[in-house]
Amino acid sequence: MPRVPLCMPQLGESIAEAAIREIGIAAGDDISADQEVFQVETDKAMMGVTTPATGRVLEIIAKVDESYAVGATLAYLEVTDEEIQRAGLTKPSDTAPIRPVKPRTEEDQAAENALADGDDGQSRPHFAIDESEFIEIDVNPEVKPTVEGLPVPASATGATYLSPRMKARMEELGLNAADLSGVAGSGAGGRVTIEDFEKFIREIEKNKMTAASPMRIAVADSMRRSWTRPLATVGMPVSLDAVLAHRKASDPKSGIALYAIRALALALSENTAVAGRLIGERIVHPKAIDIGFAVEVEDGVLVPVMRDVADKTLAELTAPYDELVRRGRDRRLPPEAMGTGIATVTNFGTFGIVWATPIPLPEQNLVLGLGAGRKVPHWDDAAGEFVPRVEADLTLSFDHRILDGGAAGRLLQKIDSLLQRPETL
Amino acid sequence: MSQSLPQSTLEAAGSPPAGTDRSVEAYRWMVLARVFEDKIAALYRAGKIVGGVYLGRGQEAFSASLGMQLDRARGDVFCGLIRDQAGRMAFGEPLIDSARTYLGSAEGPMRGRDGNIHRGRPSKGMPAMISHLGAMIPVVNGMLMALRHRKAQGVAGGVTIGDGGTSTGAFHEALNQAAVEKLPLVLAVANNQYAYSTPVSEQFACDDLADRAAGYGVRGYSIDGTDLDACLSAFTEAIARARAGEGPQMVVGKLLRLAGHGEHDDARYIPESKRSEPHGGDCLALARAKILAEGRAGAEAVAEIEKSAQERVEEAVARAQSEPAPNPYRESWHALATKHLSEGTTEV
Amino acid sequence: MPVTYLDAIREAQAKALAEDDRVFIYGQDVAEFGGAFKATKGLADRFPGRVVNSPISEDAIVGAAIGAAIEGMRPIVEMQFADFSSLAFNQIVNQSATHFWRTGVPCPITIRLPSGGTEGSGPFHSQSVESIYAHYPGLIVLTPATVEDAYSMLLEAIRIDDPVIFCEHKFLYYHLKADALPAVSLPVGKARIARFGRHATIVAYSAMVHEALRAAREMAEEGWEIEVVDLRSAKPIDTDTILASVARTGRLLCVGESFPWGGLTAEVISRVVGEGFHLLDAPPKRLNSKDTPIPYHPNLWRVHRPTWQAIAAATRNLLRL
Repeated sequence: MPRVPLCMPQLGESIAEAAIREIGIAAGDDISADQEVFQVETDKAMMGVTTPATGRVLEIIAKVDESYAVGATLAYLEVTDEEIQRAGLTKPSDTAPIRPVKPRTEEDQAAENALADGDDGQSRPHFAIDESEFIEIDVNPEVKPTVEGLPVPASATGATYLSPRMKARMEELGLNAADLSGVAGSGAGGRVTIEDFEKFIREIEKNKMTAASPMRIAVADSMRRSWTRPLATVGMPVSLDAVLAHRKASDPKSGIALYAIRALALALSENTAVAGRLIGERIVHPKAIDIGFAVEVEDGVLVPVMRDVADKTLAELTAPYDELVRRGRDRRLPPEAMGTGIATVTNFGTFGIVWATPIPLPEQNLVLGLGAGRKVPHWDDAAGEFVPRVEADLTLSFDHRILDGGAAGRLLQKIDSLLQRPETL
Repeated sequence: MSQSLPQSTLEAAGSPPAGTDRSVEAYRWMVLARVFEDKIAALYRAGKIVGGVYLGRGQEAFSASLGMQLDRARGDVFCGLIRDQAGRMAFGEPLIDSARTYLGSAEGPMRGRDGNIHRGRPSKGMPAMISHLGAMIPVVNGMLMALRHRKAQGVAGGVTIGDGGTSTGAFHEALNQAAVEKLPLVLAVANNQYAYSTPVSEQFACDDLADRAAGYGVRGYSIDGTDLDACLSAFTEAIARARAGEGPQMVVGKLLRLAGHGEHDDARYIPESKRSEPHGGDCLALARAKILAEGRAGAEAVAEIEKSAQERVEEAVARAQSEPAPNPYRESWHALATKHLSEGTTEV
Repeated sequence: MPVTYLDAIREAQAKALAEDDRVFIYGQDVAEFGGAFKATKGLADRFPGRVVNSPISEDAIVGAAIGAAIEGMRPIVEMQFADFSSLAFNQIVNQSATHFWRTGVPCPITIRLPSGGTEGSGPFHSQSVESIYAHYPGLIVLTPATVEDAYSMLLEAIRIDDPVIFCEHKFLYYHLKADALPAVSLPVGKARIARFGRHATIVAYSAMVHEALRAAREMAEEGWEIEVVDLRSAKPIDTDTILASVARTGRLLCVGESFPWGGLTAEVISRVVGEGFHLLDAPPKRLNSKDTPIPYHPNLWRVHRPTWQAIAAATRNLLRL
């Protein structure tokens, strides 16, 4: 025959427990449904506890003057299956104990207090919250708490997504997103969290560190800003024989790079749009054909600018160019040579480099690179044989939003054809 | 049922007999209120007053009769509503308070924070009404409870409402509360026949609002609110009974609103014929005629009262108009008396 | 002898009545019966004539309290349930809240609102209305979460010269106990760090503080150190303490038992975003009840309001960001 628990009811809003004042039944008594069998007292009132069904008292657990939590089992009744059906006591909890039956003792209390204190790890007697005094609410296991999913930034790997705090902290430390390229992120989508960041900052403290020079920082800033654009580089071998022959016959002699500068200027003078910048939906054309050239200085690069290069001959440019190279190396450029040009020439060939992908300055679209000249066999169609010639690779790096490979190639071909007729430069 | 009691009962309640001098005194407050409100209405039409202007025209006798017979010096309180210019002044509100509040002077009791009839001096027994009808009755109840707690003897509290305001839940709750607590409340209901545009036939279905009093266990009075002598007598008795511990008294005065709801309202919905019906007269003209006819005051004295009112109003209005307006940059934008708990203003 | 949250409220009123003759209690069933929750039990005997039964007239109860306050008293109003304060809304927000600003005369009333849900209480005996009153200028709104705060904040509320809405949680009345009443206390307007942590901040108030602490305790076993801030006061909000906590953790979850649209949790987040955007390493989140009336059945009710399980789940999600 099923056992039916008789439980402490909820006798009023917010009531947690009640004390047994009278027990009106004994084990073995027959009882009828809705019979008042206990008198219990809450802070609010004295109330009777009634039976849920007709049957016989199996066991009385509750003791007079003990307090029991709401839901605690006070007694067990033996009830027939027919009566269970009649009374509708068909849920599992109706016929099984659902709460601890033992009254709470002072030892329980002390143990729970100790647990609560230890867990909190803080001793604040006046403001400590005694969570142990909470009656556990058993959430029905079938009822799951519902929490809406939180948005997760997609594809945030590394330092591409920066939280407001990350941004503020990086600003505080003077860092840029590029500085964090090597930090692995543990956040959503692999993003770098502030904790990842702080750990990284702590870790690098263990390495040897030296201060970067102002020149290094300036170059870094310039290159990082430039790298925000989709840059591309194309290259083409050109013969330097004509230029070298012209140079040999000239006095004073011009640097090889100056030939390239002049050729670039003439090529651009035909169409300034290729050196333009894309701002919104418009191409912004340069105002004048001012060409810069890279000069290596200690721990960096300077770019002196020559003004209106298309309007001056190579011979006229030779002395000013030499002067700017010298003053550039001394870092004493005249004011008119500072500021921005519309394109830059870099002669990386002086370092023996034959091919490179230079990065244009942030405010420019183009950088023309000149590789190291070397003597190579060249197939001469007319003679039907290989002939030696001095050749170098010309590279052109550009903002792919403005130029395509074809236009860049045509610009290189134009420069090549000008270099084959140095007397016209 | 309303109760009209013989003169002997009034005397038994310990009130002084109605004398001719009081009607002249009441007339003085009535004239001052009428002259002031006419001036305010003119300023409103001249664009000198922003917000609303609400007149008590036609209700001066009813209002003054209550305010005049209460005395803050013995602990009484009085809360006027929108048509109680006369009663407020008769109770003790300085004329300049009214002028300053209407004209938005920073020197007034409301300092530009509230305007027109929303004014008072709560610490002097005059709570400042809010717009929600019925809401001031429990406030006066509470003031009377506080006075009782302080063992104040023989005090009374007056509060007014109109016919429309009796339809609110607040009215019911508060009148019942006053009755349960046996508070010395004198509730003056000015039945001026219209709540804004709504006639009383659409406001309540009983014959007389005073009939309601019995339902609350409250003594009710039904009087002609245009008859100054009737008003004075009724409030004399009501106040005396309240002071004597007989509990709340509800005096219903029948009269006619002789103005729009506010000065923005031409009240074309009130038929002209109403003025010639019972309770449709002008209490001020009626009182003046009676005072002169019965020789309670001579023609010269009455003229002097009227001239004096003109002068006082001109002076008060001129002074309030010349005073500085509130300065938003010097305003204390804190709603709490406890400054350190104020969240202050969100900076924009 | 342990002191319950309810005992603390009763004792605070007893102390206020004993110390200040201007204090009286007004409300339904508060006199000999001792109040629906027994928060005034025994006080009518100890203070004759100063614990006064009212008719069932919430508007008139608060209106009279305002009148008494204007005349120099310090009334305490007991609403039988916070839900019923809607019937006194006009007096609370239009009369008491505006009074000092309009007239310069303070209106020191304390309105006790038995607030929040308990099992089986349903839509009209479970509401948390702190956000509604906090919206109005001129009101102070308190939401004590501990026995100590229930005592000290109620005492302070009665002394404050402004109308105070005192939101006491019904579930805590009997479920929360302390060893003794406090001798010292944090002042009104200051939040309290209920638990220190470094991975995320949970801002909570009233009964939700305990749900948040429970969530924090569970998550400690997973290695998370969760900080819990007990707001204590809904208005004013102690923005500084919240910002200091978010500065430590970079992540914020704000939990309230009240309805989700607007309200105190939204206000906390608005302030953190406005004044401490740079402190946030993840989007600030909030957790409130569902946007429905409060259900009667315990199964529905437990899911309607934030529980410690829901708070823990939301916090784990926040930590995954």
